[in-house]
Amino acid sequence: MLEVVLIASGVVVAVSGGLSILLLVAERYLANYGECRIDINRGERDFTVKGGETLLMSLKNEGIFVPSACGGRGTCAYCKVTILEGGGVVAPTELPLLTDQEVRDNVRISCQCKVRNDLKISLPEALLSVQEYRGVVERIRDLTHDIKEVRIRLVEPDAIEFTPGQYIQLEAPPYEGSKESVFRAYSISSPPDDAGHIELIIRLVPDGICTTWVFEHLAEGDEVTFTGPFGEFRLSGTDAEMFWIAGGSGMAPFWSLVRHMKAHGPQRKTTYFFGAVARRDMFLLDELRALEKELNWFRFVPALSSPAEGDDWDGETGLITEVVDRGVGGGEGKEGYLCGSPGMIDAAIKALNAKGITEERIFFDKFA
Amino acid sequence: MKLTPQDQALAERMAPGVLSRDGFLGRDHRPVSEIVATDATAVEALGVTHAEIAAALAEARDTAIEAFGAPAEVRGLKATCIEARGRIVCPWGGCGGFDKGEIVLTGPDGETLAFTPLSVHLIARHGFYQGRGSRYRIEPGKACRMLGLGGEKGG
Repeated sequence: MLEVVLIASGVVVAVSGGLSILLLVAERYLANYGECRIDINRGERDFTVKGGETLLMSLKNEGIFVPSACGGRGTCAYCKVTILEGGGVVAPTELPLLTDQEVRDNVRISCQCKVRNDLKISLPEALLSVQEYRGVVERIRDLTHDIKEVRIRLVEPDAIEFTPGQYIQLEAPPYEGSKESVFRAYSISSPPDDAGHIELIIRLVPDGICTTWVFEHLAEGDEVTFTGPFGEFRLSGTDAEMFWIAGGSGMAPFWSLVRHMKAHGPQRKTTYFFGAVARRDMFLLDELRALEKELNWFRFVPALSSPAEGDDWDGETGLITEVVDRGVGGGEGKEGYLCGSPGMIDAAIKALNAKGITEERIFFDKFA
Repeated sequence: MKLTPQDQALAERMAPGVLSRDGFLGRDHRPVSEIVATDATAVEALGVTHAEIAAALAEARDTAIEAFGAPAEVRGLKATCIEARGRIVCPWGGCGGFDKGEIVLTGPDGETLAFTPLSVHLIARHGFYQGRGSRYRIEPGKACRMLGLGGEKGG
């Protein structure tokens, strides 16, 4: 009896496996969808592509770069696009990555969604100006034991326009242990005036594919590719007093912003709270203290949550939220800007709320 | 054992360089279903459930995260967290994304246990403690001993 069951199971597995392979082969070599037209934002852009490619790749071939971290393998769920018409049925590989509301709103995972007919899609306006850049690594320097600054000279195009707070997606090519390219988001830490370069502040992620490549394989002189700029994290247009709160590589957007504000304004009263665990995790201390002396509207408050023996630290101590609690008086009418881990952001929002800074005046770039 | 296409796809997603640099299986060549079944037997023998182990790890995770990287005390252990940019999805799919990063628990005798926010989900939802030799393999017995669970309580 057991033998019959095993044979029957084996036959079912073999037949279903064979059919799956047959369908994939047929899709790959036999299906011909001809030319398909893609309309973006109801006529803002439209072009014709050869059907059969994924939507993500079809857009990329036309120079439209939708953020994607996994390189089109359907795992990161970053490349969501709204298909207004022609999307067809949501693929089984998309469903796990979409909420029920997103399915109802015709949001699709563009790397898992093939262009089989004419499509009308909706994209955020800013994505249409994103470009692909090639550059050369000009300098890599250690900022801490697990944070590096990577300076890239742009080659093609040779300059980039961005707003402080925006990020790029760096491509980590295949390397030993990683068979395919992946893309990861990093905020630009250099100021926009240095348009021929970008600098990134990258912290080693345990078990991370891209950061391992940066830390163990990337060298000065290497060519790199990235797309950008992306993101809506930026200064509001008000003149309200600001509190910036960051930790670790969350330094990046503020390091860009403070130097941009120094050169071009606005000279809004700003207090920058930066948290680290111990002295070995703190960086750019001298540079920011020098700016604090130079700029009468800028105050820098570095804090250590757990100074190590021998750190010789005479600055603020405690969790950064505790330091914020001590350092911020009334917050009404003021603004908060946060960049860091989700845990830090959530706690910082609560701390600012408690000071009277309402959610609509708190802007953040969560590491998510 | 012949793998179903679903098992094969799962193993491919758990391979090094797909979702994470080192993957989820380490040097373990057993099918995922066999790894899960073997660990389920071990967990039962310890007198605990996947949910209890996952809950204790979640408590340690939350305590560590609230300390923003500084050492925190939980269940008599030192818990430290490295939070990182980005999210990682569950290899089974359909479970959403989980914050990247790592939590390390250190016992009074220096014994350590490293896991991720995703590890907690993998145990709670799928009973998966990862393959032998995997970077974040959690031996149920060791976890129970360090976290003070089941028959290992107070050990």
